[in-house]
Formats: sequence, structure tokens, C-alpha cells
Amino acid sequence: MKEINSLRLKLRHYALLLILNAFANISFAQYVIKGTVTDATTGYGLPGVNIFLKGTNIGTITNVDGTYSIEIPAKKSVLVYSFVGYKTKEVDITQSSTIDVSMEVEVIQLEASVVVGYTTEKKKDLTGSVAIVNLSDVKDLPADNIIKNIQGRIPGLFVTTDGSPGSGARITIRGTGTINNNDPLFIIDGVPTKSGMHELNAKDIESVQVLKDAASASIYGSRAANGVIVITTKSAKLEKTRIEFASNWSLQQYTSKLDPLNTEERGRVYWQACVNDRLSPTNPIYNYVWNGDFNHPILASITYPEYIDPNKTMKPADTRWFDEISRPSVLQNYNLTVSKGGDKSRSLFSIGWYDNKGIIKETHFSRVNARFNSSFNLLNNRLTLGENFTMSFQQEVLINASDVLFTSLVQQPIVPVHTEDGGWGGPAPGMTDRQNPVRLIEDNKQNRYKYSRPFGNVYLQLDPIKNLTIKSSFGIDYSLYYARAIQKKYVSGFLVENNNTLTNNMNYYGNYVWSNTATYKFNIKKHSADFLLGTEQIKYKSEWYSASRQGYVSEDLNFAYLSSGAKNQLNAGGGSLSTLLSYFGKVNYSYNDRYLLSFTLRRDGSSRFGKNNRYGNFPAVSAGWRISEEKFLKDHISFPFYLKLRAGWGVNGNQEINDLAIYNIYQIVYSKEDPIWDNPTSTYHPRLGTAYDIQGINQGQLPSGYIYSQIGNNDLKWESTAQTNLGIDFTLFNDLSGSIDYFIKNTKDILYYRTLPSAVGEANIQMVNGGNIRNTGLEFMLNYRKKINDLTLDITGNLATLKNKVEYIPENLLINAPLSYIVPNEAKTELDRSIITGHSVNSIWGYVADGLFQNQAEVDAHAEQTGKGIGRIRYKDLNNDGVINEKDQTFIGTVDPKLTYGLNLDVQYKYFDLSLFVQGVSGISVYNGYKTYTDFASLWPGTNWGRRTLHAWSPENPHSTIPKLTILDRNNEGRVSTYFIEPGSYLKLRNITLGYELPPKVASRYQIQQVRVYLQGQNLITIKNKGFTGTDPENPNYAYPIPAIYTLGLELTF
Amino acid sequence: MKRIAILSISIIILALSFGCSDFLNVKPQGIIGDAELSTPENIDGFIIAAYAQLANDHYTVPNLLWPYGDLRAGDAYKGGDGPADIAIFHAFEIFSTIQPDMSAYSPSVLGDLNNKKWERQFVGISRVNLALNRLKDLTVKAYPKKLEREAELRFLRGHYYFDLKILYNRIPYFDETATVADILATSNVALTSSALWDKIAEDFRFAADNLPELQTDKGRPDKYTAKAYLAKVLLYQAYEQDENYNVININHSKLTEVVSLIDEIIGSNHYKLTDDFAENFLCEYENGPEAVWSIQRSINDGTLTGNLDFSAMLSAPMSNEYGCCWFHIPSQNLVNAFKTDADGLPMFDVFNNTDLDLNTNTVDPRLNHTVAMPNLPWKYETQLIYTVKDWTRRPDIYGNFSSLKENVSPYCECFKRIPPFMSSSKNTILIRYSDVLLWKAEALIELDHLDEARIIINEIRQRAKSSTGRLHYADGTPLANYNISTYSSFPNKEFARKALRMERRLELAEEGIRFFDLVRWGIAKETMDEYFQTEKLKRAYLVDAAFVKGKHEYLPIPQQQIILSKGLYKQNPGY
Repeated sequence: MKEINSLRLKLRHYALLLILNAFANISFAQYVIKGTVTDATTGYGLPGVNIFLKGTNIGTITNVDGTYSIEIPAKKSVLVYSFVGYKTKEVDITQSSTIDVSMEVEVIQLEASVVVGYTTEKKKDLTGSVAIVNLSDVKDLPADNIIKNIQGRIPGLFVTTDGSPGSGARITIRGTGTINNNDPLFIIDGVPTKSGMHELNAKDIESVQVLKDAASASIYGSRAANGVIVITTKSAKLEKTRIEFASNWSLQQYTSKLDPLNTEERGRVYWQACVNDRLSPTNPIYNYVWNGDFNHPILASITYPEYIDPNKTMKPADTRWFDEISRPSVLQNYNLTVSKGGDKSRSLFSIGWYDNKGIIKETHFSRVNARFNSSFNLLNNRLTLGENFTMSFQQEVLINASDVLFTSLVQQPIVPVHTEDGGWGGPAPGMTDRQNPVRLIEDNKQNRYKYSRPFGNVYLQLDPIKNLTIKSSFGIDYSLYYARAIQKKYVSGFLVENNNTLTNNMNYYGNYVWSNTATYKFNIKKHSADFLLGTEQIKYKSEWYSASRQGYVSEDLNFAYLSSGAKNQLNAGGGSLSTLLSYFGKVNYSYNDRYLLSFTLRRDGSSRFGKNNRYGNFPAVSAGWRISEEKFLKDHISFPFYLKLRAGWGVNGNQEINDLAIYNIYQIVYSKEDPIWDNPTSTYHPRLGTAYDIQGINQGQLPSGYIYSQIGNNDLKWESTAQTNLGIDFTLFNDLSGSIDYFIKNTKDILYYRTLPSAVGEANIQMVNGGNIRNTGLEFMLNYRKKINDLTLDITGNLATLKNKVEYIPENLLINAPLSYIVPNEAKTELDRSIITGHSVNSIWGYVADGLFQNQAEVDAHAEQTGKGIGRIRYKDLNNDGVINEKDQTFIGTVDPKLTYGLNLDVQYKYFDLSLFVQGVSGISVYNGYKTYTDFASLWPGTNWGRRTLHAWSPENPHSTIPKLTILDRNNEGRVSTYFIEPGSYLKLRNITLGYELPPKVASRYQIQQVRVYLQGQNLITIKNKGFTGTDPENPNYAYPIPAIYTLGLELTF
Repeated sequence: MKRIAILSISIIILALSFGCSDFLNVKPQGIIGDAELSTPENIDGFIIAAYAQLANDHYTVPNLLWPYGDLRAGDAYKGGDGPADIAIFHAFEIFSTIQPDMSAYSPSVLGDLNNKKWERQFVGISRVNLALNRLKDLTVKAYPKKLEREAELRFLRGHYYFDLKILYNRIPYFDETATVADILATSNVALTSSALWDKIAEDFRFAADNLPELQTDKGRPDKYTAKAYLAKVLLYQAYEQDENYNVININHSKLTEVVSLIDEIIGSNHYKLTDDFAENFLCEYENGPEAVWSIQRSINDGTLTGNLDFSAMLSAPMSNEYGCCWFHIPSQNLVNAFKTDADGLPMFDVFNNTDLDLNTNTVDPRLNHTVAMPNLPWKYETQLIYTVKDWTRRPDIYGNFSSLKENVSPYCECFKRIPPFMSSSKNTILIRYSDVLLWKAEALIELDHLDEARIIINEIRQRAKSSTGRLHYADGTPLANYNISTYSSFPNKEFARKALRMERRLELAEEGIRFFDLVRWGIAKETMDEYFQTEKLKRAYLVDAAFVKGKHEYLPIPQQQIILSKGLYKQNPGY
């Protein structure tokens, strides 16, 4: 009782205090400072400005009209005013209790903090190449994947993506450096991960920084060779409770679509192809009435049978398959963030829902993110405890969109969607074995995967003595994937499946990371330095299984669980485990704020390497010279300017190889891994089976054995990338700023599977180190920011060049080039070292198509080429030996973009804002594999073809570049050749946004701090090279097309 | 106090973070250590894996050698969706586009299938050598079946090398004693062709000497399987060839051994011809009396699809009962070869003058066991009528037939769909007893024992004659006018050769054998020239076909292997 009473007393005491504070500027050892913060140019009040008492956590934030009030314990102190985009200002408080501050716009945010690896640095002190994403430019974009949204905005960052609702995006920083994994390392709130970013809610992200060069990335040495992307999520500011709500609704639809033939055209092209070959056009589905004269063929009419299939279920149709599978669709996004700050604790909670119904019917992706972070200051602010925790849950319908898109192009239009009695239409005799894309959608729409990813860390920060900070952080990043899918029975033309199969998959993977760091800072006169020492331990584990059964009496997923199946129980599973242990240190030194020096050393151990080579050392040094501070410049230049020269060199490591690479592998492979397709690629080596029906009893459990499938290599060591970076940061006249970087990136001891002659047998692959690849490039970033009265103009442009070259490849390596995942597998070739050395690893190898033969004289004059003829492709006899054969292949294209660029324009006028972003690449080749369908009747004779076949070469149409129609591919025109190489340059209007913010004075009447609405269009215009015959050069093959998206958005802050 | 607390926490953190030196010692997941496998129980696993490679084939690298033995022999067209549908097999058919590196051929996603075949044979050999090496370390006491299993393994090695030899001629040869370094130093031209045959024969000799007369496991070869295979090797070796693959000598001592080996087999009564030819190609009669050496296929065996006959995965026709992919299409020339004259004998030189017309011609019953023809029942199912419209895929390019032997009835228990393909668990017979008997007849003819050969050929023909029980429509009328009889005499060696060679074609059609016969006999060039001359008038795509003597008898050594061997391997002549 007594305690409660005393508590009440205390409360009363505090209440009184508050009242007194509110009415008078006096208090018991507390002082209240009030005032207004305004923009120096416009004079308007600035809302949201951070104000804190220097050296403490005491702080506040300005109201909508720019007014503030703050309590401080002592009169003699300094208040710091900071706001994004403005120069930070410090004001000494002496007597006055009212302090009005006017803030000046800052062009480059030299004081802005940059997270550079376990610590932060000010931008002006940076000596490496670090790009900071201006998130305000992308905040209005639908929040699916942050990587997708920053495409084109950072020079040297190449992003490829597609339009699928689950939106994968792949990223390469400064070129393809290695033959194995080229993905960068992500650091989210200090937790490293190589997992995808689309589980992260883009709206939760406070900042994204890209550490491009070795000097800045090397502190993450172990896995930083492909660059590091540091993502910091939002946390509470020093302020009262703040509620933010943001939402957008989008409509998306195709702007580009493929152009296949309709039923009548398909019939006509087939007829033409046959008569060109002087073959009688006989076809089970088309009956031709024609004059029968091969010299002067004339087609009178085409008739169709009553039914196209033997069972008489399908009447001839004229199906527009693409229209049957696509739709305009809706994308929605809602986010609520509640935060509260204080000098003892801060916390933030956010919840987001993202829901994307894709433009392929029934495709659907949804994601819920919940995030919580808080921090507590204890022991007089000398101990901080905190955590960041994110839980993301997503699900997606398991429809294979690229299969659906592909079959919608190639399924013949004469096939109806449904049979007369409502069953599935499908290929009839005479057609190729392609599925009905509508069936692929409808039979799979009930199947989904569920995926959850708990992610986050807890940390403890101590300041035991002045300037020394010790921090310990324990983070986790786990993923849980679960899918249960039924494959239904079907009859779809001659494609029949009599069994249904339920498959259950589960995959659990992830890692924990424990890192400990100590930092110490000191300033003596003109010298200042800070030291960082740390250790890190990471343990990665994955386990998976899959199981299936057949024989389900009902295909309803409410029934179809594993146990409900009657027959054919199958299962499989596996796992992997690896660890990393690292020690690192960093020293930053600055003299007179002018000369900057930074030195990093990291020592990493990885369980993936043999005992002798577990550890790799990764040093880096960099230096900066703020030359504009030098008297000899300062005295001679009258206008305001800032200039910093930077130079850095460092080494990073890569260990992205199989956990088992050092071991001899003996395996049991009861069931061969890819029985139906049996198609090994450079990255996928399906194991052949070890079970055999030795007793000849035909069924039941088989005896099985072992294979030796890999020769171990105990000498494996870290692959390393040494990078030199030279850079300049500058500002002129306060409104123009920019940076220029030049880099040379050399990767050596590349980890790859070498292939021995097949005579060695099954274990003819072995992971080894060897080979050098060099990337060089120039990157420019330029920003112009001007404020003229009510108008603010902000233009940012970036441009990057890239050149990739294989410098050296050791013996026995065949590179499966191009490495780039943009290139379809059919255009990849295994190339000998002697061929690829000196070329980009992304070079395509093949024949040179040298136009079409126009007449017999040209045919006769040409080298020996089996199948040559009038209207056929002429291949160049590169070695002039009079025969066209494999020796006439060469490098026919490079899929590295020579130049990538982006331009962002922001205009703000009073309460309106307009932004516009264009992005492009040039000097890139694409392999347009779709051309085998769009240009030929002979390469896939049983499918539908593109409308381009209507414009094929003929004596009457001699200027056509499309080969003469034929049904017999005598000339082997499907071979990899320049015929399929097209320029992939494009310029896209990525997005344009118009926003309006309610004037604060109006908003505040409704107790609202800020209201903004906006309209936005994405991917509205694409300018592409005339030589590109597909739909979207960014997505040339069977990928999910990128839709145009129209968005309406709302932002509310209370 | 506080300061002490803070300091001590700091020290604890720092101490902990430098602990744990074992952190990087993790156990590899999901694999077994080398040593754990060298026990007698585990040896069986290595042996089974060596067998398993027999069934690890695929339509891109079939162990029933149809793309290599039939497409190159004028017995079958590639089929499928046109020449571009697996352009490498199209190249096999027309020869003129075969080249050492075919990786850019469409659909290039499949890779260079010539290279893939080479690779798969050596996977088999490496599995055998691995097992042999482990076996060697065991005592007979610890593993009583040591010698017998060694014999089985050497049989398997002989088999894998045999296919390599007939495909590529010059191949690197090594046994289980070779280390990786030894293998890397072994050229494909280190041994002469004849020395290679000796090596292969050696394995079969060992197997024949050490295998039991009877095996309880049907998948294991026994003494007679080994003797049969040895006879086959010797038969091939007997035809001695020069650099241009001309037969320059026929080695009589080898042929004499062939005859005596086969006589031993006959004398053992181990095998016999089935009563009906059909039984060799039906699941119900698997491992029957005529199956000398088969790949054991299985279904519902706990593997993903069943260890089905993946080599036949493309052969099914297009009707609703099947659906894909109509490859391996009997040629018009082959079909015409089944015509019989008024005496019921093959028409050696004139069979191809006109195309077979079932209304007017008489035929050998084996035609309807081998070739599906328009408007006839499919695979003995009288309710299923094969039609051009619904069953074929590209009749405009490849004509109207389909291959029957490797296919099964859609109603068979052994039939299985693995969309978009289908196949069955029917075993693949690699050596049939009738094949063995015909080797003997062939040897006898070359040894001038014409009459003894005639008796064998007549035995084969007699069986064919009595194999009409399944060849009728639903109402019982026969599918064709069958007129087949036996030879009353062989007037001379030339005639006997023709009879033998024709008999082999008719008896073994579509079983992936004929091209190797032609090369053995040294008549590939003239046979193919003659075939192309008439066939290209019927099939427009053959217009580019051309056979170069001294080159096209063998496939090129895959360019990739030459690169990987750093030039140690020498390319076959002509490429």
C-alpha cells in the first residue's frame, strides 16, 4: 500500500511539473526553449525538423508550422537542428528562451551519415565509392521489391527483372566478376544475407547504400567481392507518437504483346511453306483448294474438318491464346507505421500488406510484413539494448507464368480452349506437344506456396569509457518455405495424364550471425581518428524434403493431403551446413579535416575450404583529399565549391560454392534426378541413378548402390577480387554536385568446376581455383538542385560504362558462355580457354548469318553449305576453307551493356510535386530465341508461328530479311547465329508521378500533420532499337513481361 | 559499481567472441565417407550401380542404338516435328552435317548429343572400374562371390566399350588399374583398332570363364551371355579393315571361334527362338527364351518415374492413346524390303523398284510386327486402328509409318505416361538369340559352309512364317498376304551373303543394329548411296544427304573431348 501511495504522490508531482512547465518558462532546473524553424529562402515554417541537445538523447521535432518546444536540463548547452536536404545547424543557448532558426538548403548532404560497415561515417569523410539511393525518389513506387525500384538509379548497378507478381530481381554490381555466384551481399540492419529482397517491405526501408569498391566493402571482406548493399530499416525519431499511413492502388496491364498468326494465316503460311518445298500440302487440320501447280501455285481456299481430333471433341477455333490468359489486374499496397521516441526508449511498429494480382490470370502474390524495433537506454545512457525484428509472410499461386506465356504463343489458334462438352482443348495430331495455357492456369490456381521469413537482431551497446563503444549483436535470418500442390488428371487433346499427384515440399534454411565490435574515437588538435575491431560468426543451415503420392479420389486440396493418396509414395530430402568465422579491424584517420586515410583488414575463415586454406586475408586502404579546403585553391576561387579526391584499393573474397566442394562425394541416387529431360547444364548436373532391377521382377523396391560423383579438392581457397577505385566528389555554386569514379576490378583464383575428359568417368568434375576476369568502368553521377521562390528543381543523372574481359583461364576449363542469366540456355556454348581469353564472359559464340541467297548464282558462288538454297540464310565462311562447319563460328555478340544510364527529374511547386524518371541501356546484344517461332515455319513445325512469317522472303519480296518459308529445315537455321542476335538497347520512361500535398494549415485543422495524394504511371514508354523484333528488349525471351502500371496513392501522417 | 558492471560485460563479450576454434569444423551433410564403403555389403552397391548405368539412358543418348544404328542405315527416318527437332539426329540421318562440334544445333539446349553419348559410355566404364577396384581389396573368404562378380563387372565393361568401339572406332582404353593421371595420359589412338578388339574380347573371355551357367537374377549375364558377346566381338574383329574402312581380310580363325562359341551356346539348350516373333516385343514375355542380354526396365519401383525404357520415350505415335513424339519412323525402303516374291523369298535386288502395296504384294509377316501401317491394327490391338490422320505427326515429311517393336499397347500394365512423353517398363533386348544364330550363319558363309548357314536362316524364316497368330483384324482376316518360305539352296557364296544380309535386316529391323552390320561388312557407302538415290525422291529432306567413304562409317570424336584432352585425342579421319 505504502508503495502505491508513494507512486501516486510521484505522479502528482510530475503532473504538477508538467502544468508548471506549460504555463511558465521556469521550472526546477529545467529550461524550455521554444521557437520556429523556417526555410531560409522561402521563409515558410519547416515541419519535421529534428532538434536535439548536443551530446544527449534529448530532442524533439518541429510541428506542421515549424514551431517547436524543448525542455533542457541546463542553460549552457548547444541545440542541433537537422533536416534532410538542409544544412545542419548548431545554436548555442545562453539566455534566450526563444530561438528561431532559418535553415539553408544543402546541395550535397556532406553531413549525412552513411552506414559503411559496422559503423557510420559522414559522407564528407568517405574515401571509398559509396552510392546512396535517394529513397524519396522511389517512395511512391509500389512496394514490391526495393531492388526493382532502384533499377537505373545507381551507376554501376545493373538490375534485371520481370513483371511477375513475385517479382524477382537480379543485380550485378560493376560487372560479372566470377564464374560462380555474382549476387552482391546484403546487410540488413547489420545482418548479412544473400537471400532475395522481395520479402522486405520497401516502405520499411530508411536507407539503401551501395558499397561498390573494395575499400568500402572490404570490411565485409568474406563475401563482398560482388559488392555490398547496406539496408537500414526505419526506426523511431526523437519525437512524440507519430502515425503514418500510406496506401496505393494500381492497375497494371500489358503494353507489349506478341503477334502470333490466326487460324487462317497459320493455314496459309503452312501451305506456302509446303509449296515452296514442292511438297503437297497435306495436313490433318487444313484442307487446301489450290491449283496444284508448284511453278505457279495459287491458293483458292482453306477448309477445315468438322473436328480436329480423332475423338471428335474439338471444333476448329480461332483462339487468341494471349487474350485468354492475360488480364488487366490490380495491385494494392497498405502500410501503417506507428512510432514513438523518447530519451530513454524508442519504438516503432509497422505493418504492411502488399497484394499483387498478376497480369496473367489467376497469378497472385500477397505479402504481409510486421516489423517491430525498439531501443532502451540504461545506466545513464551508457548501455543501450535494442532489437529489430521483421516477420514476413507471403504466398503465391504456383502458376508457371513463363510456361503459360510460352504456350500462349505457340499453341495453335485452331485449338479451342474447351472441347464441345466443356473439357480441355489441346493439341491434335499433326501439332506439337504443347499444353493448353488456360488449362495450365486453371489446373494450378489452387496451388500456392507459403513462405515466411523471420529476420532481425538483438543488440547491446556499451560505452564503458569515454569514446569507446562496444556492441554485440545477434541476428537471425531464417526462411521457411512450404508448398502443397496437386497436379490434376487431365485430357487436353492428345496430352493426357491419368494420375493425379500431390507434392509436398518443405525447405527450411537460414543462418544466425553473431557480431561483436568495439569502436574508439579520439581527437587531438588537428588529428582525429577512429578505430574499429570486431569478430563475427555465421552458421548457415538448410534442410529440405519433398514427398508425393498419387491416386487421389478427390482433387480438392481440402482432401488431398499426403496421407489421403493411394499409391506411389515417393520422398526425398537433404541438407547442408556451413560456417564462417571472421576477425576485422578498421582505422580512419583524418588530419585537419583535409587529409583522410582509411585502412581495413579482415580475416575470414570458411568451413567450405580445406583445413590448410580456410582463412583468407582481405586488406584495403583508401585515402581522400579535400582539396577545396586547401588555401591555394580557396584563395583563388571566389565562388562556393567543394572538391574531394578519393583513391582506394582493396581485396574482397568470395566463397559461394557448394558446401561439399572439398569432399570426395559418394552418393546413393536411388532415382535419377532428371529422368524426363536428362539435361545437364553448366550449373546443374543431375545425378544418374544407382538402382537397377537386377532380379528382373519389374516392380517394387530395387537394389541400389553408390556412385563416386565428385573428386574432392582439399586445396580450395578463397576467390579474391582486387579493386582499385579513383573518384572525385564535387560541388559547384551550391547547386551542382556530382561524383566520378573509375574502377578496375580483377578477380583471381576464380572458383569453378573444372571438367576432365569424360574418360575419367562420373567424377569428372572438380571444384578448383583459377582464372582471372577483369571489369573496368567509369561511373558518373550529377545532381542539380535549385530553389527559385516556390519552385524547387532537382535533376539527377547517372551514367556508367562497363567492359568485361577474361584475362586468363587455366587449362581444362570450358566456360559455358555467356554466363549471363539473361541469355537462354540454348544460346550457351562450352568454350575453350584459348577461345574465350580476351573476350567478355558474356559473349555469345556462333555462326555469322550473312543475309539470304537471292538467286542461284549466289548459291553456287558460296562455299559448301549443306542445305543452302535461294531464300535461305547464307553463313559466312570465316576461315575461307570453302566449307561451312563448326570452324566458322566466332563471337557474335556481348550481353554486357556498354552503357547504362538514368535521369530523374523532380519539380516541386508550392504543394505540387512532379517527378519523372527515364532509364536505359545501350550497346547490349540480346539473343532473341523467340525468333525460332516468329520467323520460321520449319524450326517448330507443329506450333503456331509469328506474324513475321507472312513477310518472309520470296522472289516477289526479295528485300525481306526473313528466310523463305519452308517446312524442312535443311539449312539448319536454328543453329546459334547472328540471325538471333539483336540490339537490346532501350530507353524507358520508368515512371512519372504527380503529387499534391494539402497545405499544412488546412491539414492541421483536422489534426493531421501531412496529407499527400499522387498519381503515377510506370513503364509507360519504351524506345527500342528498330533491329529488335521482340516485344521488350529488357525481357527478350520467355520471361514474365513487365506491365505498365497506373497508380493512385495516398499518404497520411498524424 | 555501474562502471564495473559495464566493464565486465564488455570483457565477457570480447572473450566470447574469440572463443570456439572448432567453429569451422563442420561435418559434411548427406554424403558417406570413402572408408565406410569398403565392406563386403557395400561392394554389392557399387556393382549394382555399374548395372544401373544400362538403364540410365535417355532418348538423347539411348542404349538401344536407334539413332546410330537405324537412322544411319536407311532403315528409319528421324521423325518428330521435322529436321530441326533434334538436328543432331537429323545430321546422323543425312551424314553431310555431322561435325565434331554440334553444340550449336537446334535445339541447342540439349547440348552436343554426340558428346553426351561418349560421356555416358565412360560413366558406365568408370562405375565398373570403381567396383572392380573395391572388389580387389576383399578376400574370397570375406566375399565368396568375388570371382563371379568380377566376371560380371568385366562383362559390363566389355559391353560399354563395345558400343564405344562401334560408334567411334578409336577410343581411349584403360582398365581398373588406371589412375586419373593414367587416364588423362591415354590417347584414343594408343591402341590399334584390332588391339582394342582384343582388349574388349579379353573381358568377355574372362566373363565366359568365370560366370556360372545359370543366374537366379535375370539381369545378370551368365556364362552363355558372355560367350555370345564374345562371339559378337570376334565376328566384328574378323572383318579386318584398312584406313578407309575397306574390308581387306576376313579372319577365318576368328570366325571359326565364333562358330564354336555359338555351337556351345546351342548345345547348352540355354536359349531358343520364341514360338511367335511377337513375344520378343511384348512385356508379358520379358526375359523369355530368346532374350540373351537385356536391359531390365521397371515400373512402380519407388523412383520418380520408374526406371522405364527411356530410349523409346520418343517413339510413341500421336493418337489420343499416346500423344508424342513419333520418332524413329520406318523408311519406305525398309518397308519395301519385306516384300516377298512368288516363292515367298526376299526380292534382293528389286524390292525397292516399286513401293509396297499390301493389296498386290505378298509380304514377310515380320513387317507387321515391325512397322505400323495405315489402317491396320496397332500393336496387335484389333480395336486400335492406326491412321495417318490421327497417329502420325509429319506425314508430309516422314511418311505414314511408325515403329512397333519398342512400343507397347496403351492397355499394357507396363505402359506409363511421363508427360509430355511416355514409355514402358518393357525390357530392352540388346542381344536376341536369333541375332546370335545369324552371327553363326554369317561366319559359316564366310567359311564357305553355305548349307549349314542356310539351315540356320531357314530356322529363322520358319519361325517368322509361324508368327502370324496375332496379325489379323478383329474379324480374323489377316493383315496382309503373307507368303514366306525357306531357302531350298544357296547356289553360291554371293547368294548366301545376300540372303544372310537381307535376313538380318528383316529380322532385326529397328533394333539399332543395321548400320554396324553395314560398316562391319564394309558396304556402308554403296548401301547408303543406293538408298539415298531412290529415297530422296520420296522424302524431300533427304536431298542433302551424302555419305563420304572413309569418314561417315564412324562418328567424329566429340570436339569437346579433344579440347578436354588438350589435343591428346586424335580426330577420326575425314572430320
